Amino acid sequence: MSEILGLRDVCYIYGDGHAALRNVTLSIESSSKVALVGPNGAGKSTLLLMLNGTLRPSSGVVLFRGQPMRYDSRSLTDIRKSVGMVFQNSDDQLFAPTVEQDIAFGPLNLGYPGDKIERYVGYALSYVGLEEHRNRPPHHLSGGEKKRVAIAGILVMEPDVLVLDEPTSNLDPATSEEIMEMLDELNLYGKTVVISTHDVELAYRWADEVVLMDGGEVVRTGPPEKVFADPDTLRKARLKLPAVLEIYREMLGRGLLAPVDELPRNIVDLMHLIESAAGISGRKPGRIYICDISGTPPSRIRDILSSGAVSYIGAMGTKAKMVANEELLELDFSYGVVDKCVLKAIAGRSSLIITSGGMVEHAERRIRSYAEEFGIEIEVIILPRAHTSTPVDNINLY
Amino acid sequence: MHRLLDDYAHENGLRGVSPKLKLAIGAFSIIACIASPTPAVPLAVSACLSAALIALARIPWRLYIGLTAIPLSFALLSASVVALLSPGEALVSIGALRLSREGMWLGLLLLSRTIGGTSSLFFIALTTPMTEIFAILRSMGLPESLVELSMLIYRYIFVLLEEAMMVRSAQEMRMGYSSIRSSISSSAMLASVLFIRAWERGERLMVAMDSRCYSGRMPLVESHSVRPGHLAVSFIYILSITALLLAVIRGGSA
Repeated sequence: MSEILGLRDVCYIYGDGHAALRNVTLSIESSSKVALVGPNGAGKSTLLLMLNGTLRPSSGVVLFRGQPMRYDSRSLTDIRKSVGMVFQNSDDQLFAPTVEQDIAFGPLNLGYPGDKIERYVGYALSYVGLEEHRNRPPHHLSGGEKKRVAIAGILVMEPDVLVLDEPTSNLDPATSEEIMEMLDELNLYGKTVVISTHDVELAYRWADEVVLMDGGEVVRTGPPEKVFADPDTLRKARLKLPAVLEIYREMLGRGLLAPVDELPRNIVDLMHLIESAAGISGRKPGRIYICDISGTPPSRIRDILSSGAVSYIGAMGTKAKMVANEELLELDFSYGVVDKCVLKAIAGRSSLIITSGGMVEHAERRIRSYAEEFGIEIEVIILPRAHTSTPVDNINLY
Repeated sequence: MHRLLDDYAHENGLRGVSPKLKLAIGAFSIIACIASPTPAVPLAVSACLSAALIALARIPWRLYIGLTAIPLSFALLSASVVALLSPGEALVSIGALRLSREGMWLGLLLLSRTIGGTSSLFFIALTTPMTEIFAILRSMGLPESLVELSMLIYRYIFVLLEEAMMVRSAQEMRMGYSSIRSSISSSAMLASVLFIRAWERGERLMVAMDSRCYSGRMPLVESHSVRPGHLAVSFIYILSITALLLAVIRGGSA
């Protein structure tokens, strides 16, 4: 891992003398998922605007790939191409009359030739799943669709870093999860993702690295289970404990759970702790089928569903969701799919995950790591391989 | 949720027709209405375009009638003033107001031209989204900055409209429009807050554009190509209206 963006002793003082950032030193690793958390007015948005050179530190230095950021227009264009910024309010960002024109804005201004712009815009539109909205004006879109267009308008410039200010504010829970899942997918393909949020649940579950800010200063940085382990720091920063941790602490205090080294990160972890404390074990876990839709005809998915082998079906990634939508598959899970399928597997039910490309291995890896952590066997069956080798190609984890 | 005219422009039966063709038909119709010395041509134009709007573009007729009624009510007023104040041999006279044959004819002509012109404008406004008109404006050689400015203005009309509707309902909730007095002060407040918000939006817009490497260019959409069927129908329409126009002019001079 190497540092892609860094702040060294950065101060930022607004014109009225109010200091928005005080001596902030921060290092953002390449290909990581970073969440800035903190109360209103902590300086999160100011810090984010430093990352693409919109704001220039009053003192201190911002590093991009180890080089101090320069603020002449050519350097700024380079930085903004590499560090894409998605604003909190999509209406601030979508200024062109139609979706297509808005997405084409960045590439056009970077001087790409016409056919390249068209290709890139088409790719970005299909990535966020909004091809049929190409000619619509932004005011005809829903909040979630606007957010997707805003993200597409950044992705089309192929940035290395995506910076999102409060990406899930004003979105319904399912849309929020879908947006976060899209960010996960992008991170999986190597992009560094930096978000700011008040949502401790989101930050705790999603981030690799949490930066806790308060009053213009960075109070703590580290992996979420470290930063969120200290309730006093959180309370001072006007945040609260994530529900999973709160339940864990309560149960610990009442002697229902024994303390563990690694705090539970999500409901799957917590349920496992509770089940093992309650002595429930020995139930045969369910299977998880992972199906790569690019190698499987939809009819085969239907066969699996009608055979009764699986009780639940979930889709991961934009492409899989699009196929599910086209094939009128009724999805039980459209976000947090791996976690939910693992929960069901532990409860003895089988499920099917449809996804594509690198997400297949990602899902498999996640299931494998859960199984290892809990010391159970979850049978994972990857489907395109099933019709090349004769019997069902079981990947037995242990 | 209000349905705005803009929504119809984006979803109507004639959306797939080349915007250039629609614009040409609209412009031709307006010129024909003005050139005609008798009400026959404007009325024929209005009949054709209204039929096209309702039958082909599938614009709800109630909406269309409602829309036309607004300019028509003004036109009716001014046409009657013209009719009553024109010189000529009086048919009826009430005090200073005299209705002459010439005046009546002039008033009728004015009214019919308004009807024809209104239909022509609505034909464009209800079938062609602004977004496509921008592309035509640029291809016609209008200055880039003017077209870009109008594109941004167009986009932010809706952003500010939404803002204005929100502020207005917030005021209504707290009895902001309960009396004439409070209505006036609430409207003033609405205007000033909108101005400030527009200003803030402008600043944020600048940051957003810079964040996406703005170097002075706004993208435009490709417009639809003209289809032979559409061209044929338009040609028949233009020919018949021209024929009618010529017949009327010759009939008038003969």
